[in-house]
Amino acid sequence: MSGGCCGCVAALKPRYKRLVDNIFPANPQDGLVKNNMEKLTFYALSSRPEKLDRIGQYLEQKLTADINRHRFEFVFIAMEALDQLLVSCHAHSLNLFVESYLKMVQKLLECQEPDLQITATNSFVKFSNIEEDAPSYHRRYDFFVSKFSSMCHSGEQFGKEMKQKIRGAGLRGIQGVVRKTISDELQVNIWEQVHMDKIVPSLLFNMQDTKSTGADIESPKDEDDPAHLAEVVFRDLVCRASYGNIRCVLVPILVHLDNHRAWVPTDFAVRVFKIVMYSVQSQYGYLVIQLLLSHLDKHVKDDPQIKTSILTVLFEAVLISAGGSIGPSVLEVFNNLLRHLRISVDNKGKNQAQYSAEVKFQDAIVNTIGEFANNLPDYQKIEIMMFVMGKFPQFADEEIGGHMDQQLQINLLKTLLKATTKYKTVIMSNAFPPEFLHPLLRMSLMEDAGMRITVQDILHTLIDRHGNTKKLKRIELCGNIAVLELSVEKCSRQDILFMKKSGMQFYWHILENLQLESNRVDNLEALYCTMGLLAVEMGGDDIIVDLFRLALDIQGLATGTTLPLTHRCALHAMVAAYLNLISQLVTCQQAFEYVQSVIELRKFRAQHLLPDFAYNRTNRPQSLSELEKSELYPKTDQVKEEWLFEQSLLTTHLASTGLDVSRLGTPFTQKPYSGDNMDPTMSASDIGSINIEMESVDGSPSMARRRYSGVEEITVESLKKMLSEENTEDKEESERRRREVVNTFRTAPFEEIVAKSEAKSNHFHNKLNEILDFVSNTCVKETPVDGMSSEPGDTPFGMQFPDLFVY
Amino acid sequence: MEDYKYLFKVVLIGNAGVGKTCLVSRYTKGFFPPGQMATIGVDFMIKTVEIDGDKVKLQIWDTAGQERFRSITQSYYRSANALILVYDVCSQQSYESLPHWVHEIELYAGTKVLAFLVGNKIDQTDKREIPTHIGKEFAERYEMRFLETSAKEADNVEKLFTSIAYQLTAQARDLELRPEQQGTVITGGSTPIASAPSCCKL
Repeated sequence: MSGGCCGCVAALKPRYKRLVDNIFPANPQDGLVKNNMEKLTFYALSSRPEKLDRIGQYLEQKLTADINRHRFEFVFIAMEALDQLLVSCHAHSLNLFVESYLKMVQKLLECQEPDLQITATNSFVKFSNIEEDAPSYHRRYDFFVSKFSSMCHSGEQFGKEMKQKIRGAGLRGIQGVVRKTISDELQVNIWEQVHMDKIVPSLLFNMQDTKSTGADIESPKDEDDPAHLAEVVFRDLVCRASYGNIRCVLVPILVHLDNHRAWVPTDFAVRVFKIVMYSVQSQYGYLVIQLLLSHLDKHVKDDPQIKTSILTVLFEAVLISAGGSIGPSVLEVFNNLLRHLRISVDNKGKNQAQYSAEVKFQDAIVNTIGEFANNLPDYQKIEIMMFVMGKFPQFADEEIGGHMDQQLQINLLKTLLKATTKYKTVIMSNAFPPEFLHPLLRMSLMEDAGMRITVQDILHTLIDRHGNTKKLKRIELCGNIAVLELSVEKCSRQDILFMKKSGMQFYWHILENLQLESNRVDNLEALYCTMGLLAVEMGGDDIIVDLFRLALDIQGLATGTTLPLTHRCALHAMVAAYLNLISQLVTCQQAFEYVQSVIELRKFRAQHLLPDFAYNRTNRPQSLSELEKSELYPKTDQVKEEWLFEQSLLTTHLASTGLDVSRLGTPFTQKPYSGDNMDPTMSASDIGSINIEMESVDGSPSMARRRYSGVEEITVESLKKMLSEENTEDKEESERRRREVVNTFRTAPFEEIVAKSEAKSNHFHNKLNEILDFVSNTCVKETPVDGMSSEPGDTPFGMQFPDLFVY
Repeated sequence: MEDYKYLFKVVLIGNAGVGKTCLVSRYTKGFFPPGQMATIGVDFMIKTVEIDGDKVKLQIWDTAGQERFRSITQSYYRSANALILVYDVCSQQSYESLPHWVHEIELYAGTKVLAFLVGNKIDQTDKREIPTHIGKEFAERYEMRFLETSAKEADNVEKLFTSIAYQLTAQARDLELRPEQQGTVITGGSTPIASAPSCCKL
């Protein structure tokens, strides 16, 4: 078909060359000569494999010449022929042919004409779909990766349509290279940093470009839209990544986001990582999270906005990967996040905007930790809670840390609350291991009223197994508790054991809590809720008696305290509501009737001692002066005997239902760690209660006295000693104490000894904090504003010290 | 028979707006593109020259100067045979960021890379901020070759690329380093194909 001169020369050519020559038409517009192409294909298929290689070489020569002479029509025809040969020839015979084929593709890609580049890419994509079974040892794709990546960015000067085509071609080319190399061990390792540093940014660059090419939002599924295509390729890439090379993909992503400042706003980063999380093989999800965490470390000193964004991304990633989010180093993850929290808290304060950004960041951390905790198995959740607890700045530092630490504490408490809401309590003793319960209860006595509520909230979520919290949130008198629709389950033996061991601590802390003057209505309600939940969740026979005792103690507290009038009324009202609740829970008709009768009495005479009044927020006086002027509260703070709940009557009523009421006679005045009636001098709160006994004439009713008689001698003695010798450690004293301890272990019930020894194992520091706390409490007591105090609280200061030395 | 004996990768780096793309355009296409836009990502050109009878193919990668493309451009240094670090003689700032670029080269490029320092835009004599000797000193300190060019006036552009091709060829001959052994380039190696030249193609 060639021209006259060539015709005669053609006869001298080998057959394959003639066949190749024949596929080109005389006039390039006519396109590939189909008949002759079939002949060529048939020849290539039927003859020996090396013929195909020769055909390839010859075609390559022709193509090169055509390119040089800018006869692009012929180039397209040659490519078409190549494609057909590739597709139709057997895979095993392709090896050498592919070499010349790839050279041709490269040659086209080296041209400046976009059409040639696109044709080459399309052909390459077809090639990449062919599975070769013969290994190719020395094929290199470096140039292709480089060129395709370059194409992903180029085309700006050719107008929108061409730009889309070129970029699309680049993306498909990348996909082809990835597909071609990834499955073949012998191929160049596409996961090498050199390649990934080109591929990943190219994909992201196009994905990010959605907005700029945003004119065609109406067709987001458009196959040719580079943004869409890039996403597909990106998914494909990520889902092929194995453990060893997931990092290679992720690091360039992070670098790209940094370089393009794409963290803020978060949308794009979140989108990218959502794709990553959904595409990545789920067992490697935690690697993504680890990398994000370490990336957060890199940005420690950066704008909190960026950090918040990274955390948001992290949060979304954790949401998606759920169970697999943490990986092997659980504590590391939490430690890291908590460290950032700490840094952020320390950072704040440059200006308002900065501050609010940091606060946002802190919230994001808290949420993320919560989400992490959510994905842990339950036993680890408790571990994490304890871990978070361990991060609380020690109380001793409070003076120095000041506001900063408070901020941190608030955040940590929020974190803790987040973590606990995800925890499903089954057995109390698992939810409250002593190492967790003790510090938590200690924190319940913190100065900040808001934080105390959070602690109570934590307790609520942990104690409540049946969703009763909401029903007990309000302090009110229910004639019939069926209205509340509490769901009560019979309390298990383990829980009763737990309460026997740790109940005392709950009670004591509740009592201490109620004495704080900074309490607001919310605090009291939260405490009431805790008490209510204890009754509902663990109201076994023995325990419920303890709770009656607790109520009576609160009453005793309310009568013999220097708290402001409103507080006292609130306490009385709370006792009424609580007794009303538990007497119904225990289904003791007489006790319930008795409680009702006292309430009725109050309704007529002492409205201010009932919840409807005391917890009515509308009649809270805002200030002390207002309180004095207020008509609502009685002028005298006299509380008549008949308005109070009488212990002896309750005892009789409860005894009639067969409960063991012996414990009802003894108030809980011990500090929890002593846990033992035999050794009252060891207890700070004991000392406080003795003071009440001695100084307040019309103080608490007889119940305190009973216990008192047994130990009075010792107390007075020790009091004297403390007053006279103050700080010195007294040998005699310790000797005597030792005797007592021995005695205790001989006579006390086993459970108490266990509780005691467990408590003792606590760190000395706990002790110190306890005492400091108590001191601050008595400080509050000491300075009553209305001057009604009849109770000197000064002695406890002197008496604290022996406690110090006991441990 | 169109094939080449050596293939070299040349990568241009430097701050945004110093004229990298214009240099390449002047060299490969022979004209100075007015109103050139900022390069996005990486551009690619090819140029074949003859050095002492051997055909030498230069793959020229023209990188974006903008910071945001830094990570992708860095990945192109690694396999480069020659790097052209360009600054603008009219811009003090572009000169001042040279140490940063040198650092990048040390970090990402191969040790054997041939580095050229190029001060571009010497046609704008009245706006010049960096005298020739300053650039020269800098180049000497970091053991780079030095040239001042003008893409607009085509001053030294040809010379720049030719000398790169020449030196790389000399290097390659010295070490008998064939491109395919250098572990850098190209599909299936670039050994010249020992087939009969298609003389009959007129």
